[in-house]
Amino acid sequence: MTPGRILALQTATILACLALWEGAARIWGGPYSVMPSVSAVLADMVANHAALARGILRTLTETVLGFAAGAAFGFLAGAAFAQFRLLERLLLPLLVVSQTVPVIAFGALVVIWFGNGILSKVVIAFYLTFFPVTVNTLRGLMSVDPQRVDLMRSFGASAWTLFWRLRLPFALPAIMASLLLGVSLSLVGAIVGEWFGDTVGLGIMLVQAMYAENMPRLWSVVVACGVLGAGLYGILAAIERRFVWWGREL
Amino acid sequence: MTDPASDAIIELAGISRTFGGGAGRVVAIDGVDLRVGRGEFVTLVGPSGCGKSTLFNIAAGLADADPGGEIRFGGQRHAGRDLLGRVSFMPQRDLLLPWRRVIDNAILALEVEGMRRADARARALAMMPEFGLAGFERHYPHQLSGGMRQRVALIRTFLFERDLMLLDEPFGALDALTRTMMQRWLLDVWQRHRRSILFITHDVDEAIFLGDRVVVMTARPGRIKLDVAVDLPRPRPAHVATSAGFLRIKSALLDAIEEESMKSFTMAGH
Ligand SMILES: Nc1ncnc2c1ncn2[C@@H]1O[C@H](COP(=O)(O)OP(=O)(O)OP(=O)(O)O)[C@@H](O)[C@H]1O
Ligand SMILES: [Mg+2]
Repeated sequence: MTPGRILALQTATILACLALWEGAARIWGGPYSVMPSVSAVLADMVANHAALARGILRTLTETVLGFAAGAAFGFLAGAAFAQFRLLERLLLPLLVVSQTVPVIAFGALVVIWFGNGILSKVVIAFYLTFFPVTVNTLRGLMSVDPQRVDLMRSFGASAWTLFWRLRLPFALPAIMASLLLGVSLSLVGAIVGEWFGDTVGLGIMLVQAMYAENMPRLWSVVVACGVLGAGLYGILAAIERRFVWWGREL
Repeated sequence: MTDPASDAIIELAGISRTFGGGAGRVVAIDGVDLRVGRGEFVTLVGPSGCGKSTLFNIAAGLADADPGGEIRFGGQRHAGRDLLGRVSFMPQRDLLLPWRRVIDNAILALEVEGMRRADARARALAMMPEFGLAGFERHYPHQLSGGMRQRVALIRTFLFERDLMLLDEPFGALDALTRTMMQRWLLDVWQRHRRSILFITHDVDEAIFLGDRVVVMTARPGRIKLDVAVDLPRPRPAHVATSAGFLRIKSALLDAIEEESMKSFTMAGH
């Protein structure tokens, strides 16, 4: 089957599911029951588009900042651990322990420390992102085939050359996998972070819709969160396919 | 070759290598003496697992020999590590980097040496036809056959121009026809550039056809069992393999190799 036909089939399947949902909601549902109809959700999205756009922009900013900081820190930490194994022995256990505390448990603390603005959400998104990136960077850098290291050394390669020409490219598929996980976690962090109090953002819109029992609104925000998550993931997945495709060949 | 000992490119004396300790202790090679003269082509045969690759790793500076042995390179005593970057070493596996195109795998050593990428590529490009890789420069390793990958590894080794080349079964993965072509080509390059070559193979015909000397190793622990000079004139035509001189050397080698192979099998039996 050609990619075009597969895409057409996928679109048709999604449309069919939406039609089924619409039909079911019209037959059994009322405006405030469990399931609003697709058309009601769409109508809400249109009516509320300005606030929705502001919420998306805000949550997107938090996610991207937290993700970027987490990815950068995670990479540096992983690279440092790979280079200095003593550092790994000393610090990695601490990082592991830090990750066993559910983020919700000290969300309140983060808000008190970093204020009720964007920074506290970024910090929570960062906290969720950096750990998988650290672990995969370390694992990727350490899993380099020793015979390839030997070959490079036989050419007289320095540790620096070894890192850039061999270790890093070798580790990139593993790092990329952790970034895909990290971006999803980062979005979760941003949304949950907003629950601790804020005025803009998709997370706070979810809470408001819940208290107002506004089902179409709740769903339109859920859809916005989904689009945001899928979009971010899709961008990274495209980068991976285009630039870091050799994971299976290692 | 009647070069005085001082004119050897590399001389190994009493080289041993032991892996592990206690019950898992493996003596891979035990007191190997081996010299390769300047410009000499030495082939090395021996049963699988006798320590040929181990010996290469030591000669390339990648692994330390057990204390007690001596390595002389270009007439001077060296600790193993000094040899890094001074010997052109081709490992048994091709070890191509999957994220680099054929051309960029070929120039890996030149890049490590700091040559400009464009210059290095131009040099590699000129060698592609000779290696039967013309038109494949922009392919990735996973798009090549095993034999083609091996040839890319060969170009990579040749572009790292050093006086001594260590080739670990470079033609093992090639089909008979390509193999013959690559042998001729290697002899040609060797005669033009007068590099010294130490060459591992499992193929006795290849060992005799290529070598000035054929060295046979014993089953593990590897030692030198036999060191035969191949006194056949060069250039050697293909039909040299049917000459009396060739067959005499071959039968001596086969006897020695068979004896050692039997040993390594009975060893594996318990
Ligand atoms: N890193 C290592 N650790 C432990 N034992 C090793 C190691 N490398 C090699 N050996 C052992 O040393 C012996 C010699 O290995 P080596 O690879 O040098 O053999 P070889 O002659 O190259 O064999 P082949 O012809 O199959 O390539 C083998 O018994 C092997 O098990
Ligand atoms: Mg070997």
